[in-house]
Amino acid sequence: MIGKCAFLRIAALFFLLGVAFSCKKENMSEEISQALHAVKLQVPVNFPPVMEHVENPLTKEGIELGRMLFYDVRLSGNNKISCASCHRQDLAFSDGTALTKVGVSDRALTRHAPVLFNLAWAENGLFWDGGSKNLESQALGPLTSADEMFQDLNVLEQELKADPDYVKRFGIVFKDGVRSVNVIKALSQFQRTLISGTSKYDQYKRSEPGASLTESELLGMNLVNTKCKACHRGELFTDNEYHNNGIDATFNDDHEGIYQGRFRVTFNPLDLGKFKTPSLRNVLVTAPYMHDGRFKTIDEVLDHYQSGIKISPTTDQLLYQNQGQVGIPLTQKERQAIIAFLGTLTDHEFITNKKISNPHE
Amino acid sequence: MKKLLSIIGLSALLFTSCSKDKDAVTLQGEGKVTLTMDAVFGNQDFALNKDFKSSGITYNFNKFRYWLSNVVLVSATGQEVKISGSYYLMEETGEIKLTGVNNDLPTTIYPATKRENVVLKEIPAGNYKSIKFSVGIDQKYNDNMSLQSGELSQLNGMTNVSWMWLTSYIFTSAAGKVSDGTTTKNMLLETGLNANYKTIALDLPKSLNVSASESASIVVNADLSKVADGIDVMTNPVVGASKATVMAAVANNYATKVFTVKSVN
Repeated sequence: MIGKCAFLRIAALFFLLGVAFSCKKENMSEEISQALHAVKLQVPVNFPPVMEHVENPLTKEGIELGRMLFYDVRLSGNNKISCASCHRQDLAFSDGTALTKVGVSDRALTRHAPVLFNLAWAENGLFWDGGSKNLESQALGPLTSADEMFQDLNVLEQELKADPDYVKRFGIVFKDGVRSVNVIKALSQFQRTLISGTSKYDQYKRSEPGASLTESELLGMNLVNTKCKACHRGELFTDNEYHNNGIDATFNDDHEGIYQGRFRVTFNPLDLGKFKTPSLRNVLVTAPYMHDGRFKTIDEVLDHYQSGIKISPTTDQLLYQNQGQVGIPLTQKERQAIIAFLGTLTDHEFITNKKISNPHE
Repeated sequence: MKKLLSIIGLSALLFTSCSKDKDAVTLQGEGKVTLTMDAVFGNQDFALNKDFKSSGITYNFNKFRYWLSNVVLVSATGQEVKISGSYYLMEETGEIKLTGVNNDLPTTIYPATKRENVVLKEIPAGNYKSIKFSVGIDQKYNDNMSLQSGELSQLNGMTNVSWMWLTSYIFTSAAGKVSDGTTTKNMLLETGLNANYKTIALDLPKSLNVSASESASIVVNADLSKVADGIDVMTNPVVGASKATVMAAVANNYATKVFTVKSVN
């Protein structure tokens, strides 16, 4: 009876899978063909589960195509810059510049280039104010923006179609071959594989052989846990939410509301001056800091939280850590411990991993 | 055994969710319906580069474009026939320099285009009493520009990739000049937030008869004199995401005033 029941269960399960599959198939814009190899993200055991994007399923071939595109200067209008020009692997895919002028127009941007890692968990908006809902749509921003890559998408398709290797690769990954819509899909696939979870902290957290933190690093970890983690939450060290951390007191509507942050996306007055929480992972290699890169060093950031917070109606209540007053008091020893701990979040394996580096070199 | 039952129960649920989609889409049949979205300004024919007066303001348009989507015909018995993949770019526009233009290649210019007709195919034969359609793009597609359906494209200048960094579609765009007699200003009235997506239901003045043998048509007037109704266009000649309240008012005008059925044949 038990055996029979198990058999029935298995049969039912197959039946169920069949139903689920036929259902999904109708909704999926791309079916995985036989030449493609489906990829499941390697999620570190201490990380939360990851959401799958059924509309753009990860494949080995799609990820590799995305990697080639990410590092290809043909993606820009002047064929001089690639995504990697502002997202350098050695800097955890940031650029080390407050407001870069590397774009086609030579004009400084109004936003600091963000880091690119653990994007498979970034499901609450991209850009500093969350104006894009997914990596696919997001990619069109820098690709076409006059001050960034300034690419004409028609021209991009022509340029890629002139390269037989790309034609072949696009043909394998996507039914309809070289199209700008497939460029953004491939870029997204590659970016979802940029997982940073092999820092010294991760090794300690996963109790890997030989992994340990020093006394100062442990003190720093406890301080971060109690004072910073409400926003820099969990193993991702970000809540992927929007906060006003008090770097400005007023938020005028100059430059299409660039200083208004999340407000210009939601139009909710409670979101005025709120920006997305960046992860603390790799933070020591991703200076400068904040949405406009105004703080040059981690010390300046700590100075801000200790004594530089400006008050406005939306300043986050979590910053009132000084007996009801705004600010996060820290002793010199505590500051050193925090910085020591932040150092354990630098993922040397990630920033040197050849599998995600420039394939054209 | 409990598990087995729950598996069967779950698969039954899945079946329901599968078939649900199909109920709305009944595209077996022969008939065709030509839907014309005829641009007008009040009681005049609309044209580009021509002065139109309304409430003391002179409008002169060089562009009128919008996404017409999710068209549904409702039969005399109330059955809804959803036209799958119905995302159409309706427009009357001069040449447009596309975003991201950085050289003189001809592909960077969107040519002057006038498009008012849509042919709805494979409509089950029968009588229809009303039409529903939306202006703009529903959230699923608006939030993810890599999803493709109908005429949706990033290549025609009706996406909004740098406008406030909201990477999404522009739902409606009416551009040109406005003048109150003393000052003339450039006008650009656009919508594109998910909240601006509006569905319009219009009863037909007489029954639309669809059959294999005869052609059927619906003509809908799109009245541009109503787009800025109730809005001080001299104060707000440029309406985009940084003016969400005015933008909501423009979207409401599209939802309630701009479209009326002119004729059914």
